[in-house]
Amino acid sequence: MEPSYDSDKVAEIHRHLHSHLPPEPALRVKALESLLVEKGLVDPVALDTWIEAYTEEIGPKRGAMVVARAWTDDGFRARLLADAGAAVAEMGFAGQASGHLKAVENTDTIHNLVVCTLCSCYPFAILGMAPAWYKANEYRARSVRDPREVLAEFGVTVAPDAAVQVWDSTAELRYMVIPQRPAGTEGLDEAALAALVTRNSMIGTDDLKGFDPKGAA
Amino acid sequence: MDGVHDLGGKQGFGPVDRAHEDEPYHGEADARAYALTVSLRGERAYPVDWFRHVRETIDPIDYLSRPYFDQWLQTAVAMAIDAGDLSMVEVATGEAGDPVRTPAPMDIAAVRTMLTNPANFEREGAAPAFAVGAKVRTASHGHSGHTRLPAYARGATGTVIAYRGAHLMPDDGARGIERAEPLYTVAFARGDLFPEAAGSPDVINLDLWESYLAIG
Repeated sequence: MEPSYDSDKVAEIHRHLHSHLPPEPALRVKALESLLVEKGLVDPVALDTWIEAYTEEIGPKRGAMVVARAWTDDGFRARLLADAGAAVAEMGFAGQASGHLKAVENTDTIHNLVVCTLCSCYPFAILGMAPAWYKANEYRARSVRDPREVLAEFGVTVAPDAAVQVWDSTAELRYMVIPQRPAGTEGLDEAALAALVTRNSMIGTDDLKGFDPKGAA
Repeated sequence: MDGVHDLGGKQGFGPVDRAHEDEPYHGEADARAYALTVSLRGERAYPVDWFRHVRETIDPIDYLSRPYFDQWLQTAVAMAIDAGDLSMVEVATGEAGDPVRTPAPMDIAAVRTMLTNPANFEREGAAPAFAVGAKVRTASHGHSGHTRLPAYARGATGTVIAYRGAHLMPDDGARGIERAEPLYTVAFARGDLFPEAAGSPDVINLDLWESYLAIG
């Protein structure tokens, strides 16, 4: 059947589910998994494929490779800033939520920070699964109102005259931050550069200032 | 809808907890809940905004306190019950009646296709009414359905910094109507959204559909 598109009806379904399912998450999931498999609504093998995709294949290493290439290849950097979806597809990283990808670049006067206040939209194909804090109420509530305080909790200080540019992912565009290349990395090749790019730096909650060039030599 | 999901700018929340930040899933149940949700939705062409809206209708206490993928799974199950693929009796008893035969459950090939094919939300639509650089004012009120204009950005004046093409309109999508509308990125001074930030150089950028906006 088609969905009802009826808010009151689904709210009532949620209340019934709340009463009928065990409160403990692991037990709820177990109960629903066996029911959904028995009902023929999900295939157990496909479940493992989904889980393994985001543990073994798709993760922030992809984003780090994209950033390292942008740091070392001006042509790629220009294509990434113009059409990030196409640029990451060049690297074989097209996937979930990469279709309307937008790359935003940190500079000496701009620090970018990505959030989704209404749900938790995230560029899965490039950064993998979102960290727990990205999906948490605290981050969603505070990063638009008090971005500098949130950044300080992550050890990032933005100068008073520099701007924090917050990107609230309210549509199907997905944002990734291109952090500034740390000083002292001139001699590093693309692979070594990719190794120092953190997942948080591509969300905006790290500025890679903790990078120690001596440690990488 | 004016639900608790609309968290942007709400005050009273404490520090961001970074525990387990490098684990893709937070335990086996979390991973299973994720996989069940995406598999259950897979072949069924529900608009993503109906999924988002169904999640928004979770009881507010549950919304604020239950694990993220646990909420996703409850949402997917609520959608299956709503669409008649599953019954509340089956959930309550844990015993499945006759199996659903169509569509067939998502198989590995279908998962691989979804993992490697970005969805495209851009469609043919009306030409944009606002130019880049235009001052625009957002709507002062929301409505009881799904919408993507957060409450903290209502009745605010900002500047169009980009036109993104005509994209599927979420308020309609959550009602089962496929319609595209011009989408813009609009920049707001943080001080214009939150009075305590007056004079701040910080900017909050939102992607907003044309019907959320008027010339400011």
